[in-house]
Amino acid sequence: MKILIIVLFSLMFLTGNYDDNKYETAMKQNLEKIGECKTANDYINVANNFERIALAENDKWLPYYYDSFLYVLANFADSSRTQKDIYLDKAVESVNMADSLEPDNSEIYTLKGMISQARMQIDPMNRWQKYGAETNNSFKKAIEIDSLNPRPEYLIGVGVFYTPQQFGGGPANAKPILESSQKKYEKFVPANALMPNWGKEQVEHYLNRINQQK
Amino acid sequence: MFIKYLFTIVYLIIFSSIISGQTKISGLVTDQKKQPLPGANVYLKDTYDGVSSNSDGTFSFTTDETREGILVISFVSYKTHSQPVTLDGKDKYFEIVLEEETSELDAVVISAGSFEASDEKKSIILRPLDIVTTGADADIYSALGTLPGTQQVGESEGLFVRGGSASETKTVVDEMVVQNPFYSSVPDIPSRGRFSPMLFKGTFFSTGGYSAQYGQALSSVLVLNTEDLAPRTQTAINLMAVGFGGSHVQRWENSSLAIEAGYYNLEPYFAIQKQRIDWKKAPESFEGSANFRQKIFNNGMLKAFTSYSSGGLSLNIQNLDNISQKDFYHQKSSNFFFNTNYRDILWDDWTLFTGYSYSIDKVNNDINSDKAKQDDIFQTGKITITKNLFSNSFIKFGAEIQNLHATSSYNEYAGKLYETYIAGYIESDIFITNDIAARVGIRSEYSKALDKSNIAPRVSLAYRLGKYDQLNFAYGQFYQTPSQDFLIQSKDFGFEQATHYIFNYQYIGSNRTFRIEAYYKNYDDLAKGTVYTYPYFNLPEVPFSNNGSGYAKGIDVFWRDDETFRYVDYWISYSYLDTKRDYKNYPALAAPPFSTPHTMSIVAKRWFQDITSYIGLTYTFATGRPYFNPNNPDFLGDRAKNFNNLSFNITHVTSVFNNFTVIFFSIDNILGINNVYGYNYSSDGKIRAPVLSPALRTAFLGMFISLGETNPY
Repeated sequence: MKILIIVLFSLMFLTGNYDDNKYETAMKQNLEKIGECKTANDYINVANNFERIALAENDKWLPYYYDSFLYVLANFADSSRTQKDIYLDKAVESVNMADSLEPDNSEIYTLKGMISQARMQIDPMNRWQKYGAETNNSFKKAIEIDSLNPRPEYLIGVGVFYTPQQFGGGPANAKPILESSQKKYEKFVPANALMPNWGKEQVEHYLNRINQQK
Repeated sequence: MFIKYLFTIVYLIIFSSIISGQTKISGLVTDQKKQPLPGANVYLKDTYDGVSSNSDGTFSFTTDETREGILVISFVSYKTHSQPVTLDGKDKYFEIVLEEETSELDAVVISAGSFEASDEKKSIILRPLDIVTTGADADIYSALGTLPGTQQVGESEGLFVRGGSASETKTVVDEMVVQNPFYSSVPDIPSRGRFSPMLFKGTFFSTGGYSAQYGQALSSVLVLNTEDLAPRTQTAINLMAVGFGGSHVQRWENSSLAIEAGYYNLEPYFAIQKQRIDWKKAPESFEGSANFRQKIFNNGMLKAFTSYSSGGLSLNIQNLDNISQKDFYHQKSSNFFFNTNYRDILWDDWTLFTGYSYSIDKVNNDINSDKAKQDDIFQTGKITITKNLFSNSFIKFGAEIQNLHATSSYNEYAGKLYETYIAGYIESDIFITNDIAARVGIRSEYSKALDKSNIAPRVSLAYRLGKYDQLNFAYGQFYQTPSQDFLIQSKDFGFEQATHYIFNYQYIGSNRTFRIEAYYKNYDDLAKGTVYTYPYFNLPEVPFSNNGSGYAKGIDVFWRDDETFRYVDYWISYSYLDTKRDYKNYPALAAPPFSTPHTMSIVAKRWFQDITSYIGLTYTFATGRPYFNPNNPDFLGDRAKNFNNLSFNITHVTSVFNNFTVIFFSIDNILGINNVYGYNYSSDGKIRAPVLSPALRTAFLGMFISLGETNPY
């Protein structure tokens, strides 16, 4: 009798209705895959997973956020100019979906800034006039909404790092911005395990580079 | 025993439930050319079940869902495909073909006979920055002179395109024709364009076969589109060796206002750089402009631009009939220009453009005691309505009206011309597939002065061969009223006519561009008659008529590459031109003095990070042009020597007292070659003087300081 109950109990789990955990499990699985991606195709494969979750769930902004984020990373991994713009177009579509589901969100504004910054990087000489102001405004808004978010300052710092010194850029000018971002990373606690929590390694990597250059 | 049964039953229940609940879906995703598409998202609608296609386009996944489902396949820049699928546990296999999305960025571009510089489109040949960093004087027309199809005519301003004179090219700003795009002419000294290249976000230069939206230009149009809202509030100072100026741009949330003014005086510069011209009063001028933009609700944009300039100069010209005498030439000029336009999206698929422009241009040219005066008052209005059709195709309807009130006088003789010109056009861009596009248009014009009308058909086709290359073809009829010089004397003329046939092959990769274009232009009904005897002395007087004719044919080649040499961006253009015409007071068909068989330009620029500067070199070569020699019975049979010019420019970006600064220096004719453009003869044909550039070398130095801005980011 006991065995029957145990067996019937385990049957329940086999046919499984995990709806509450299904979303979280799928999200966590895919978040782990991000670190292993190397090529643009790798990033797109994981982005596709997030897109499916986003479309199936319909009202969750996080999968759209990650779909967009991965297309930005795919753009960095690809060297063709036209392909980069195509990936960033898709990133814009997804971040706008996320924005419509969760307006005035600091991470979403940070991602918007990251996308327009990436647009600029494709052809800086010709594009800084068009995208420069937009990038600054997005990061500014992200910090206004949540001053504890370390990511906008990290991205601003990277931008300054690559700007020529004559324009007020360079490693020396980037250093204080990146250090401020690093302090925020040390204090930052994400609201839950699915919320964006990237960039700490990268900001440390840049600060190491700057300190070594001396 | 009982337990064994129990396990068997449970095992069967589990096993059968797993089997009947799982369907395997696999297949292959390709494009219309059967090429596999890796990374496509293949999934069941409203579920998590799905997978990305592999590098060979195959995919395979299983789902526990049952009943009916919808299989969706999506891939970036392709149309999403969906189809129903029955999830009954049997294996399913699908071969999916995805259709390309006809997005603006990706579609084939109609481009026979044209060069476009804009930061918006993908497949562009020129970038806006090129206009400023090419050649030696940051003048739009000089930069365009390094493109194929343009002839090098150093002694005159204007664009001489494929055997056409400068008057055969019209400059259009925000869709409306500009009557005087250049500063006033001085004999044998080229004038600059009035508009600063910084005003424009897009430049479209057509060397033939242009759209039905424009007319009254037998050869080509230069279409300039001004910037929209200024990006930020900014104050700037402009210091140059030839003058100084300042500007202030104020940006509000949905509008911006830019004001600038400048004063130029070449006297100090002429004191340093020896001039071949005997200047009495070096060119001095003042100019100012204001530029207002207002965003209207979501999609509308109202623009208003106004400028005023005035200036004067005087010089002594050697009189060839009397060597001991110099003629005193004095010029005073002023120009007022106003342009306003409004663009908006009306309903879902309808766009409206409407604009109005007004200009007054006055110039006084005096030679010794002879006084010549020319006043042009010009107004134009235009309206265009565009309706979007299926997949990027659209149709435009438009009308334009131009009114010219020109008066000219020479001593006691005076003449005037009132002309009203009305035109209407219908044109449609049709994207038959993502690879084939056609532009078909018709334009009809009426000239009150001539009391005649015409109908001009235009057709352009583009066929995309592969990812980067295209074949293009254009045909068109183009009409133009004879020049003011003729119409002031007599209205008994008809439209001059040109028929264009253009065919090209172009390859535009991400970092390399190649284009080869062949063209044939047939000129008909060109205005003939003797208006001035100078410079063609001793020629028989020709009565007024439209009996002129001519042809121009040739091949243009263009190659641009910014990948092969690290940080270096260069282009090479070559033109071959064979042209003859019989017009004005020509006694016979002859190659005109603004044409030559071979022209070549090489432009190279490189960004040097350590000194944060762009350094550029431009080399231009052209075979000698025809010039008139009264002693030669073969009209325009003489040829000047070949033209060679190597110029250098450097754009240095820095900061002065923490203000973002750009320093620009350029010098042309580094090799110091004595280029001869032609010869002027005395009336008896015995003495001649070469037409040379105003100075052996011309240098330009300028500094642009943007106040309060350290970082343009």
